[in-house]
Amino acid sequence: MADLINSTKKFFRKIGTVIKTFFWNIRRVLNNIKKRIGKFLDKHNLNFASKFPGWAKALLYLSPALIVLAIFTFWPIINAFALVVYENYNMTTDTITGYTVFGNFITVLTDESFIVPASHTGSSAVINTLIIVFISVPVSVLLALFISAALNSIKPLKGFFQTIYFLPYVTNTIAIGLVFAYMFKADGGLVNEFLSFFGVQSDGLSWVESGAVYWRSMFVLIFYSIWSTLAFKIMVFLTSIQGIDKQYYQAAAIDATPRSKIFSRITVPLISPMIFYILVTSVIGAFKIYNSIVALFGTSGAPAGVDYNLQSIVMYIYQFIDGSNAGNLSVAAAGSLILFAIILVLTLVQMQVSKKRVHY
Amino acid sequence: MNKQLFDKSNKIEKWALFVDFLFIVLYITLFFALFKILQLPIDEETGEVALGLLQYINPEYTILGNQLYLTLGAEADTFITVNLLISMLVLYALVAVPMFFINLKKVRTRTIYEVDSYAAGSKFFQGMINLLSFNPISFVLRVWNMFILVKFVKGYNVKEFFKSIGPAIKAFFKKLFTKKEKEKFGDADEYSVSIKKSIRRQNAAQVLRLTFTYVFLIIMALIIVIPFYWMIVTSLKDFSGANSSNPEFFISISRMNWINYKVVLTELNFGLYIRNTVIVALFSTAGTVLTTILAAYAFARIEFKGRELLFSILIMTMMIPGELYIITNFITVSKNGFGWIGTDNNNYFLAMILPFITSISYIFFLRQAFKQVPDSLYKAARVDGCSDFKFLMRVMVPIASPTIFTITILNVFGSWNAYIWPRIITGIGGEEGQQFWLISNALRDTGFALDTGEVMYNLQIAASTIVTVPLLIVFFMFRKYIMNGIGRSGTKG
Amino acid sequence: MELRLENLTKIFTNKTGIETTAVSELDITIESGTLVGLLGPSGCGKSTTLFMIAGLEKPTGGKIFFGDDDVTKLAPEKRGIGLVFQNYALYPHMTVYNNILFPLENLDVPREEAIERVKEMANLVGIGTLLDRKPSQLSGGQQQRVAIARALVKKPRVLLLDEPLSNLDARLRLQMREEIKRIQRETGITTIFVTHDQEEAMSISDKMVVLDFGVKQQYDSPQQMYTDPDNLFVAKFLGNPPINTFEAEVKKGYMMINGDKFMKFDVPDGLYDIGMRPENFRATEDGFKVAIKDIFHIGRDTMIHFDFNGVNVRALVDSDDIEEKQKFVNLSIKPNRVYMFDKKTGEVVSHG
Repeated sequence: MADLINSTKKFFRKIGTVIKTFFWNIRRVLNNIKKRIGKFLDKHNLNFASKFPGWAKALLYLSPALIVLAIFTFWPIINAFALVVYENYNMTTDTITGYTVFGNFITVLTDESFIVPASHTGSSAVINTLIIVFISVPVSVLLALFISAALNSIKPLKGFFQTIYFLPYVTNTIAIGLVFAYMFKADGGLVNEFLSFFGVQSDGLSWVESGAVYWRSMFVLIFYSIWSTLAFKIMVFLTSIQGIDKQYYQAAAIDATPRSKIFSRITVPLISPMIFYILVTSVIGAFKIYNSIVALFGTSGAPAGVDYNLQSIVMYIYQFIDGSNAGNLSVAAAGSLILFAIILVLTLVQMQVSKKRVHY
Repeated sequence: MNKQLFDKSNKIEKWALFVDFLFIVLYITLFFALFKILQLPIDEETGEVALGLLQYINPEYTILGNQLYLTLGAEADTFITVNLLISMLVLYALVAVPMFFINLKKVRTRTIYEVDSYAAGSKFFQGMINLLSFNPISFVLRVWNMFILVKFVKGYNVKEFFKSIGPAIKAFFKKLFTKKEKEKFGDADEYSVSIKKSIRRQNAAQVLRLTFTYVFLIIMALIIVIPFYWMIVTSLKDFSGANSSNPEFFISISRMNWINYKVVLTELNFGLYIRNTVIVALFSTAGTVLTTILAAYAFARIEFKGRELLFSILIMTMMIPGELYIITNFITVSKNGFGWIGTDNNNYFLAMILPFITSISYIFFLRQAFKQVPDSLYKAARVDGCSDFKFLMRVMVPIASPTIFTITILNVFGSWNAYIWPRIITGIGGEEGQQFWLISNALRDTGFALDTGEVMYNLQIAASTIVTVPLLIVFFMFRKYIMNGIGRSGTKG
Repeated sequence: MELRLENLTKIFTNKTGIETTAVSELDITIESGTLVGLLGPSGCGKSTTLFMIAGLEKPTGGKIFFGDDDVTKLAPEKRGIGLVFQNYALYPHMTVYNNILFPLENLDVPREEAIERVKEMANLVGIGTLLDRKPSQLSGGQQQRVAIARALVKKPRVLLLDEPLSNLDARLRLQMREEIKRIQRETGITTIFVTHDQEEAMSISDKMVVLDFGVKQQYDSPQQMYTDPDNLFVAKFLGNPPINTFEAEVKKGYMMINGDKFMKFDVPDGLYDIGMRPENFRATEDGFKVAIKDIFHIGRDTMIHFDFNGVNVRALVDSDDIEEKQKFVNLSIKPNRVYMFDKKTGEVVSHG
């Protein structure tokens, strides 16, 4: 028995050696070819590569990435500026009826569902998005901070809790969104059952279906948004809190600092660069919210048969690509540029504020 | 003598693991066999699968003799039902597979110094689990192992061991009860009494704080976990269970409706959609990793004019929202550009994969990692005659492999969650395009409704489960690497 | 392999246009098979010279010859050199075995021979049993041996070591420098190493080059440089305890110390810098009388402090020749051990 095991081991080892020698010899052959080509080029003075080594090599290495970026990133940026000044661009025939500098922007800005709440729906994309951003971002950042601080202070079960809090990150937004919609089902949904357990009259209370109210639907959306973005924030905060030198805490302990002060005067300032980074990225991410809304309410952005909608700015833009207003790409481009401008302004504002409060 | 015992224990453990492995293979094979047997309800007139009938099914399959009966209706007289079997198999597999890997790791890494009475106890515990999983062979092997370890640790052989159990239990209880008597000294000194008081107060405060922290964490954890639990439970309910006004919170293992998954995979074509998503994820991740490695190396190591300038330009474009790109890319891949969609000869996969095989943030991230490789390593390699490319592949990439792994994970998650781009691409194609849906599109756009208009929530949630569970499994396997990688990627920002 | 540097020069220009000369007109021929030390204080250009020989720095002027080949423009990998870095630069993710095997992958060597060479080198440097470990599992001395093995495994024409001993603790340093000497003797490869520790260089080099601000001061065997320094810098750089230097005037053929005639010298009158090594003094009956400022008894030797021309001078004499609390002593020194240096150029002045 032992012999059998030994001889199998020897056999595998032999195969390993054969394979390794094979590759080794291939490498030798390739090296030889390289040398000969090099000598040939040198003789005939054709060796350009050695004359501008940095240049040529860099080009070779960058070319795959640059080609893809050029087609799918740089060109779109330029083209967006072109599209924005077209009038009535028709995709099927690839024609335009004229040029207009601000026309498309005005169309977007005055469109009734963009900023000004539309008459028939009573909601606007910008207002919806602003509500989402200014509620969900602060709440989720604060919550993440508290949870990371709490996690950092316990020893047993820490890894267990960490794993649990990280679960929402590994999921598909739409899949879990459907689950949330099911949980908030009017008839027999988990949430309504839970509320009635506490005596709240919730029989048939509609959150995401027909008969729902704007604030209830918005609550579900914000709740889901916070739920799914907590994981990343907790991870980042936890890593940075763990990176704080223990000596700061030891010094504070000797000075009999109460725990709340330790948190607000030591922990938070020391991780303020990270908090700032998370704030900026969260605001940007929240402004671009889309998948979550589709998950909960479908592509119309609202429950069936209600008189409001929860469209976000991005959802509004997409309707011009393949939604109700498909093909109107110039307007979509205008909308995207406006969105970019909003994000840019907010980011710059945040950077200004951070100068005072972020300590590097 | 002790080393011999230790080696013997390891050998037995390895055999037990081998048997475990065989049993796991058995569980999985049985599972697939039974799953295949599951019958979808067939409309007697048309001979086709009738989803509507699922509304009424409380499917219980009975094995009577050699025949498999599908009983429609609420009543069925059965002892063993296929559902029950499948549930049990899944449970056993869920327990056995992680245990197998944990034990495998332990056997490899445990040294002779780490064996103590807990090790012996845990062997017994695992033996019990084996017994419950109908794995008697491993049970016997493990109990035998336990006795060997007992001998190793305490020097008892079997008889002595059983004799020693009684006194050990008595001693344990004695310990519990005598602890309280030590604290009633009378201390004459005022100062030490006040110190004792403040220590007691401090301990109380600490206990209070800890309790609050744990309660807070547990509540948060529950909020996070409940949707997952609800998802799995609902996906195993039948139609009436999922749509009832009084949903059950628990579901007995004999009433788990495994047919839901089969329906979703085959009739509703989710098998196809998952396959599409895997293809897209695979190729776009492979492409991304390749282009990112090459580009990051160029920015990190190769000296060329304008390097910093080009890099700054790339960083600036990171700020621009992706929505802007989608518009033009849509034109580019349609018949006005490359013609991958909207023409007679469509290649949806190209359109879904190629725009995403590179990403500036990954290039930035990997460049940081590459820059941490010390310069002297590069010089040493150059002196050794190593070309740039060889250095990249043999030295840089292995050293930066955690970062590359993180990039892979992030990219896979991104592909798994893609919605708008595949929707736009396949939307143009109508029916043909539907064959190329990715899972997010399928989830949202598949009608889970019956002709009556009622939605089959159990099927919808089952689809969500099928989409989520593979990723959860991957997550649990690579938990540490994924969490560390994500945490680090944030702090580098 | 004979190594020849011809008028080698390196000038660095930084971003604002300021030029610094690191190496200036260095002209040396290093015989095949010798172990040569590049010695000098920090910033004297020794590492720069080493890297120019390696090909990692391009010289601004001058030529480098390996034997008869002009390798000045040749890329490092084509020169056939082995280089050991100050921090060893071992690949952290590869085992010791793979680290040493790595250079051979680019040469035209069959695999069995490559494996043989790795084992041979590992045994030569003394780490034959550590082949399966990773660098992080090795001590500093072991890591250095791996680096040396890696440099030698491709049988280079020249072996270069950049401050090989500066990262090791004192006890290990002694051991490792003898190891380096032994390895060099066994392989017979022309070796150049850079160091700022003169004792280290003196103990193992066949010959030494002393550099100061990029200019060669002297190129000789250690003993030769010690007993016959070419200039004041070399004299001051070598020797522990350091050489005594002071100013003295030569009047009418006699050197004046403390106002008295000290010794007759056949040099033009004037002011000179004088150097005398502490160990060259002898306590004799007919010597020059000095007042002892301080006495330190160190076992076998005794160090006495006194003044020459207002400068504190140390002398190392036999303990038997001095009594405790002695107030005066008569010292003598051989004329050829008195070094006289030109005040302006620092060059040694011969005096018969």
